Amino acid sequence: MNPIIERVRKALGVQAGDGRERIVFAKSEGFVNCAEAPVPAEERAGWMDSIRAEAKALNLQVHECPDPAACGAAIAALAAERTPEWGTAKQIMRWSDPLLESLVLEKLLPADIAVKVVPEAEGFGESERQDFRREVIASYIGITTADYLLADTASIVLLGGKGRARSVSLVPSIHIAVVPAERIVGSYRRMLSSLNARTLPSNVTVITGPSKTADIEATLVHGAHGPREMHLFVVGAVE
Amino acid sequence: MQSSSPLKYRELAVGAVKDSQLHRALGKMRDKVGRNAVNLYNQIAPGQDSRLAAKAVRSRIVDNLDVVLETLAENIRARGGQVFLADTGADAVEYCLQVARRHQVRRVVKGKSMLSEEICLNPALEAAGIETVETDLGEYIVQLKGEAPSHIIAPAIHYTRDQVGALFAEKLGEPYTDDPPSLTAMARKALREKMLTADMGISGGNTACAETGHVTIVSNEGNIRMTSTMPRVHIVLLGIEKIAATLEDHDILLRMLTRAAAGQKISTYISYVGGPRLTDEPDGPEEFHLVLVDNGRSRILADPDFREVLHCVRCGGCLNVCPVYLNIGGHSYGSPYCGPIGAVFTPLTRGIGECSHLCQGETLCGACRQVCPVDNDLPRMLSLLRAKLADGDPKWDVRPQSRAAKLAFTAWSLVMSRRGLFDALRGLARLGQRLLPRRNGWITRLPGPLGGWTRGRDFPPLAEESFGERWARRNRDGRDA
Repeated sequence: MNPIIERVRKALGVQAGDGRERIVFAKSEGFVNCAEAPVPAEERAGWMDSIRAEAKALNLQVHECPDPAACGAAIAALAAERTPEWGTAKQIMRWSDPLLESLVLEKLLPADIAVKVVPEAEGFGESERQDFRREVIASYIGITTADYLLADTASIVLLGGKGRARSVSLVPSIHIAVVPAERIVGSYRRMLSSLNARTLPSNVTVITGPSKTADIEATLVHGAHGPREMHLFVVGAVE
Repeated sequence: MQSSSPLKYRELAVGAVKDSQLHRALGKMRDKVGRNAVNLYNQIAPGQDSRLAAKAVRSRIVDNLDVVLETLAENIRARGGQVFLADTGADAVEYCLQVARRHQVRRVVKGKSMLSEEICLNPALEAAGIETVETDLGEYIVQLKGEAPSHIIAPAIHYTRDQVGALFAEKLGEPYTDDPPSLTAMARKALREKMLTADMGISGGNTACAETGHVTIVSNEGNIRMTSTMPRVHIVLLGIEKIAATLEDHDILLRMLTRAAAGQKISTYISYVGGPRLTDEPDGPEEFHLVLVDNGRSRILADPDFREVLHCVRCGGCLNVCPVYLNIGGHSYGSPYCGPIGAVFTPLTRGIGECSHLCQGETLCGACRQVCPVDNDLPRMLSLLRAKLADGDPKWDVRPQSRAAKLAFTAWSLVMSRRGLFDALRGLARLGQRLLPRRNGWITRLPGPLGGWTRGRDFPPLAEESFGERWARRNRDGRDA
């Protein structure tokens, strides 16, 4: 038995194994069920308006595309227009994901822009990890999808895992997230309720706009240590 | 370690009160964040009661901390992370040094952690020959300057933009500018190289989720994600009390935290970090360590009168509304935890007697409680600390601070509860006060130990006829005087 846990127990005047787990980890029915609860049509109808309004204040740029083809074309145009912040070579790193595959960026981009894909494997040796790291650092754009898009804050939620490297949404200067409209949920609470029903990966990241700071005279500046520019592509419409 | 004593506190506070530049800087925090917090709480469910809902969650966790700690440790280990429960700050520091030695670490990048200030981690790392770089912009500024942070969430709030410009020109060799975006870009460039080449990342955490086995880290700049993602090893330092039990707890706690700390609905990044990279992930740390630090917290837990202070989520909201903090600044407190929360927490961990000035310096105005996202009754605990200083408390190793003061108050209560004695002494005082110096009818200097009162203000003399005497005379004579 750990002596510090023992001391905590003594301080609280309680015993081990007295069944308090039931109280401590109890969840309200409202929370557990809210992910599955039907959302009224009028609420869903307001989701995109809310995302647009929140995004504006966050300096997050929202693009709405009817289908992956239109989305791919818009991303290609954006990539051609932007210049790298570090170095001169134009390279994009993207998650390995069927939706991102369907954008066929390789075909749409001009020849001077290379697209790399996060490698998928059961294991990675030291040199493979170093290679991947170099490629991410050399990329001026990182493209990911997201598992949820939160309507009330315009936040995206990224679950880590195979092909979904953590650094892609962090190290490149520009982060592009492509999210199908059916992945929109109303709020952080509903997202948590949905996570509650699944087994979580080691890493879950909630991202709301490009990185920012207000550490000098409480003045807001976008572009601190994470991406300085962020684009959200919503594919399809809210049904 | 930053240290503090009554003398030093007074000296620093007197200097800070005259520092108009400091007041300009702190005023911005007050105006931009302080005043907004309360309005923002009211906009979220359950409205006015959201603070009480958050308090109930914190209280359930702290009252069952043993269970939550055990579950968290178990679940982090199941994810391949390592967990160390540190008794003292020194134990936590030693653990970090051991991990660093094992990995032959030459450079550490740090995400903001007040706990690392509390346990004096940076000097120990530097002494071991490890370059230690703070990556939060505010912390970076303060570190370049060789100072300590002056605010829990805005460490460099005491600097103006031109001071930061001069500092970057001197230390980074950049051309002088006072433009915050350009200054931020300079730090972005300088720190990116450090973050991409460090061997080890050390960060704090805002809370944790015991049932899933994750540490929860909230940030805006992205430096903490860098710290937790790019180096080979990531260590998280967390006070044993800061954790949460369930994902549902995170709902209200995070909503309150980001509003209280920065007036934001949500911060840019909320990361749930649960362990090292899995074998099928090409990035993320090889090793993940969670260091849970007691360092006096279980002693607070054992005292029902003070347990409430462990509900604190370290948002720094109470600083932004505190009339004392806003006048004397963070450095006067001589502790990483300043403002009202520091005036309660620091004495309880460093010694109530040694830090007597901290609770005595606050005003008990109650603003800190009104803005607190978990409705922490700091004024009650400040009063209680003062009571312990007056009466002594062997349980906290406090001796009565002043026999004379104790005697004086006993005498005072004796006089106030005996009418005849009171009247007699009042008569004497009326005679005596004729000898005291006056200006515009006010007494400018009281005698003896009472002189402290008139050091900074004048004292109204006793009226020749008191209200009670006048009332009695009026009733007796049946006419207005």
